[in-house]
Amino acid sequence: MNEVLPAHNIGDYVPLVDGPEKVSGRAKYTADFIAPGMLAGRIFRSPYSHAEILEVDVSEALKLPGVKAIVTGADCDKGFGVLPIARSEHPLARDRVRYCGEPVAAVAALDDVTAREAVRRIKLKARELPAYHTAKAALAPDAVELHERRPKNIERDVFFEIGDVQAAFAASDLVREANYNCAEVCQNQMEMHAAVADYDAERDRITVHASTQVPYYVHLMLAQILDMDMSRIRVIKPHVGGGFGCRTETLNVELIAALLARKASGCVRIVVNREETFITHRGRPETDIRLKIGMRKDGRITGVECEAIMRGGAHSGYGIVTILYAGSMLYAIYDLHNVKYVGKRVLTNTPPCGAFRGHGTVDVRFAFESLLDAMARELDLDPFAVRRVNLLPPPPTFTDNDLMVNSYGLPECLDWVERESGWKNRKGRQRGNGHVRKGFGMACSHYISGASKPVNWTGEPHATVKLKLDFDGSIVLLTGAAEIGQGSSTVLVQSVAEVLGLDLSRVRIVTGDSDVVPKDNGSYSSRVTFLVGNAAIDAANNLKAVLIAAAARKLDAKPGEIECLGELYRAGAQDKGLTFNEVVVEALKDTGTITVTGNYSTIPESHGGKKYRGAAIGGTMGYSYSAQVVEVSVDDETGVVTVDKVWVAHDCGKALNRLSVEGQVQGSVWMGMGQAMSEEVAYYDGLMLTANMLDYRVPTIQDSPPIEVGIVESNDPHGPFGAKEAGEGSLAAFLPALTNAIADATGLRFNDLPVTSDRVFAALEKRARGTARNNNGG
Amino acid sequence: MARILQLTLNGRARTDAITENVLLLDYLREVVGLTGTKTGCDGGECGACTVLVDDQPRLSCLMLAALADGRRVDTVESLVSDGRLSAVQRGFHEKLGSQCGYCTPGFVMASAGLLRRNPRPSEDEIREALGSNICRCTGYVKIIEAVQYAAQLHAAGASP
Amino acid sequence: MEALPPFDLIRPRTLAQLIDARAAHPASRLLGGGTDLMVNIRRGIVAPPVLIDVNGVDELRTIEADAHALEIGAAATLSEVAAHSGVMQNYPVVAQAAGHIAGPTHRNMGTVGGNIALDTRCIFYNQSEWWRQANHHCLKTTGEICHVAPKSRGVCFATFSGDLAPALLTLDAEIDIAGVSGKRTVPLAELYIGYARQNEPVTVTRGDGKFFLSLQPSEIVTAVRARNSPGLRSAYDKIRIRRSIEYPVTGVAVALRRDGDILADLRVAFTGTNPRPVRLAGTDKLCGGPLDAPVFAGLDALVRDQIMAMKTTFTPGHYRRRVAGVLARRLVQRLFEGG
Repeated sequence: MNEVLPAHNIGDYVPLVDGPEKVSGRAKYTADFIAPGMLAGRIFRSPYSHAEILEVDVSEALKLPGVKAIVTGADCDKGFGVLPIARSEHPLARDRVRYCGEPVAAVAALDDVTAREAVRRIKLKARELPAYHTAKAALAPDAVELHERRPKNIERDVFFEIGDVQAAFAASDLVREANYNCAEVCQNQMEMHAAVADYDAERDRITVHASTQVPYYVHLMLAQILDMDMSRIRVIKPHVGGGFGCRTETLNVELIAALLARKASGCVRIVVNREETFITHRGRPETDIRLKIGMRKDGRITGVECEAIMRGGAHSGYGIVTILYAGSMLYAIYDLHNVKYVGKRVLTNTPPCGAFRGHGTVDVRFAFESLLDAMARELDLDPFAVRRVNLLPPPPTFTDNDLMVNSYGLPECLDWVERESGWKNRKGRQRGNGHVRKGFGMACSHYISGASKPVNWTGEPHATVKLKLDFDGSIVLLTGAAEIGQGSSTVLVQSVAEVLGLDLSRVRIVTGDSDVVPKDNGSYSSRVTFLVGNAAIDAANNLKAVLIAAAARKLDAKPGEIECLGELYRAGAQDKGLTFNEVVVEALKDTGTITVTGNYSTIPESHGGKKYRGAAIGGTMGYSYSAQVVEVSVDDETGVVTVDKVWVAHDCGKALNRLSVEGQVQGSVWMGMGQAMSEEVAYYDGLMLTANMLDYRVPTIQDSPPIEVGIVESNDPHGPFGAKEAGEGSLAAFLPALTNAIADATGLRFNDLPVTSDRVFAALEKRARGTARNNNGG
Repeated sequence: MARILQLTLNGRARTDAITENVLLLDYLREVVGLTGTKTGCDGGECGACTVLVDDQPRLSCLMLAALADGRRVDTVESLVSDGRLSAVQRGFHEKLGSQCGYCTPGFVMASAGLLRRNPRPSEDEIREALGSNICRCTGYVKIIEAVQYAAQLHAAGASP
Repeated sequence: MEALPPFDLIRPRTLAQLIDARAAHPASRLLGGGTDLMVNIRRGIVAPPVLIDVNGVDELRTIEADAHALEIGAAATLSEVAAHSGVMQNYPVVAQAAGHIAGPTHRNMGTVGGNIALDTRCIFYNQSEWWRQANHHCLKTTGEICHVAPKSRGVCFATFSGDLAPALLTLDAEIDIAGVSGKRTVPLAELYIGYARQNEPVTVTRGDGKFFLSLQPSEIVTAVRARNSPGLRSAYDKIRIRRSIEYPVTGVAVALRRDGDILADLRVAFTGTNPRPVRLAGTDKLCGGPLDAPVFAGLDALVRDQIMAMKTTFTPGHYRRRVAGVLARRLVQRLFEGG
């Protein structure tokens, strides 16, 4: 008999389990669900930034043959929002519009031509109010308040001081302060927002296909907005064309589709265009940062003072969480004491911001790593040495703001990028040709593996996975975790197969249908691998116990004597044993179809502390770490910056799927590059100027460098097989690594993002004129 | 106005009555039901809708369906033969050139167009040929690897 | 489903049919690759009642290029021009310009005629119908003011962004124009009338960003032609924020002739800056001597004087104007040195 060994996949290069569908065009996204008789939905949007609604006149639109339903703010008086404490938004504006493009009314018609014409006939009568398109304007003492219970247009003020910052600065060899501005950016995922809502009037039930990262939150908000019992709602999340955080909360599109479907008693599809997708927004807010760091001669950080002001847009969204992350995540990467943070999340008459990849951490990390670099140069220290002297104590450890750190691969990340980039020999490679100046820069970043406390928590486990095993011997994995392209389905299938020692082909996954799969909080804050992965392992272990018990019974042995070899269960090495299928037949005798549940909950130690209001934000089971080196060429006559190469090392605990980890890390770095170099959401009098893919400049393949990935495995004690997150933590480090490299190349330090060629040119020109003031940090 | 459109779509002759103002993209997706071809922007900015017209990549979101009359149009659905993925599709799948998959049909078709006229492209030629397509997930690194791998498979006899 | 406004589509097979169709439908638009026109139709910027597809007219698709002369039909695609060996060898500035327009798939569609007559662009114009309405429209459509220069008194500053025009202007190219009254051949430079500066009245011969072509209503450009001048070296370069897909921040074409150490002829043209492609006037005065510092200073002065670059794009006008000068200087140096 051939020796049977359990199959293993962890650490392999595993192509995505849903890859064949995607490359063959068979994968269906929300807009692809085209049914005969479905109605076309379209949205009428406010042309005003801020106005009191006097009347929404839909009478002319209703006269148009083919119009089946029109909804306005009058059809729904319920607010929605991801945070239970901040549900300020309505699917269709009531009383007031607060940003240009806010939905005011929507039409369902027989076809798109009719729907479009109907929208054209809708008239909005409004009285304009003063509009604030910048945080500064909204904070002015005499500004009109956008919302009730949000005095002075402040969504949230955050303050903490842990330690004594003034004393720390006084005891420093060098104290430096700088201001930074990061432009607003947008996810611009490739799939435009879409929803299909099908209302069954006979049964008073509704089915909604939504392009979302959080089907459960959509379910909650549909119930709230429709005032319908949750049991009457079914949410289906088909393939999703990217999220990056813009779909981590319920969007008005799916709510409006549902309102229209119910009113029309039919099926309504809304596919908004790219401009509307931009305006639906939920991007990263424009952030102004004032940062002050104290340092000793050896580079040791003594104290940090950070002030962040975010232009949050017209509604709350995730805003409170964002401004809290910006402060709490100053910690958990370096050994900091004496930290003061002041954060202001401001309500403005611009589209609402949200939880863009690297939520809350990116812009502050840019500022922090930039200032560290400038101070290292001033002290004539190597930037690597400055990071090394500030490393956290060996884990397990807790930060001053009570964040739990159990694994810490940053030292190895630093070693890897320093070695692979040839950092120590970089000086010899710095000479460019003609007007090209070469430079190298480095920086670090980190991110959470899922928030330890979910935003809508009712006490249930943080993650639940079901496995179903039936007569055919195939295992069906049921999960609500939202596959959005990040590979979550693959990693869950891998986890189950690994525990059971089976080939991946034995495990199939069903996800994204609330009628079938267990509830899951969704795909955001890099939670799926850690939390749902652990639940999948738990489920697989539970299934294994059932199978071992059955095998023991059949083999007349004790469960403890049974050896599970994946396709073979036996009682000792001499035993011929039972095939997997034979074990399944035996196991089914008791109960018929087997379903097992796996759960996972975060431990209380990971929930953050109580030293300030909101201190739970930042708490996680494990932090990922990243270090990067960026090589650039700067044309000192045109200001054109070219990224020649990036070396990035990412501590993901354990690479469950090396292919996916590499892909996620490369995608993160590259998305950071877009923010750093070319992407910017800009407004003209409240109208988004850049709501298209020509003016919102996502890098093309011709702009994108080779990105070499080093995987660092710190084996987190709580992580699934030791794993932590891989999809966000490497984004932030790119931004400062780039500007540090430009400073290395040109001696010019750029504190405002994006660093477009015109900005570089302007700085070069200014210096050439000899009027550069305090601009030279290199 | 309506007109008759006769074309060879994914290798099969086909005749439809269409209105003159329908885009090739909408004809493929909404009339024929081939939803593999995607739309990602408001016109010519992303390449998700790329199809081959007489073997040459075109943006179906800017081309009137009526202009495909008498021509050969291939969409991503045409590449699978005998139920197996083509070399380009295998490249994108096995090398993770596709994450969320939404831009993938456009990239796959632009790549297939490239390999049909240049079976052994250099990295620069790959970058050049895919310059009309935006991907938001991969950073393009693995897309380039996918096309290089597809070219190897193609050289070994697989259909592009 | 993108609901385009209804229009009639005419698909002529001969130039005569095309001219007839154009005469019969003065409000029609010619459809080449659609890479600009279809976008503008989708955005409700234009809604022509009739589209005339030029792609079926074989007479408009010729490309002939040898050591003596260049002739390109208006319906030739940009890919075809960029890859044509005769163009690449003898008129490199044209091949280079064509080969770097937008992205490769766009170039498979876009035509020479479409790029030569490319609609001018502006950040207040190239927006959706909803957006433009919320912004009270602009001069180039139905509005009252130019948002780029609200005090412009009726002058539109939309920017010309075609890449082929500057390349062809450095070759002193001519265009064939056909209409009901027959055919005529005129210098390409005469096609572009977007001269007006702030507060200068727009006239028939001196238009602006809105009235930027001198064509009569029923006229069409059928071909562009140029003669090779012996010893002329030419090249095209441009800057974009991204290296593919997008329109130029600025594009520069240079053609020059060198006799020994003497700069014997110099022609420089720009796109992406003014409401027309600008063939720099006065470069002849820089010729006749060595390529030295005063020549470069003179070139810079001409650029500063003639290149306008208002805030019509998201990238600041100042940068477009200044970097145009840098690119010009570099191309002149490179070509003079033999590159």
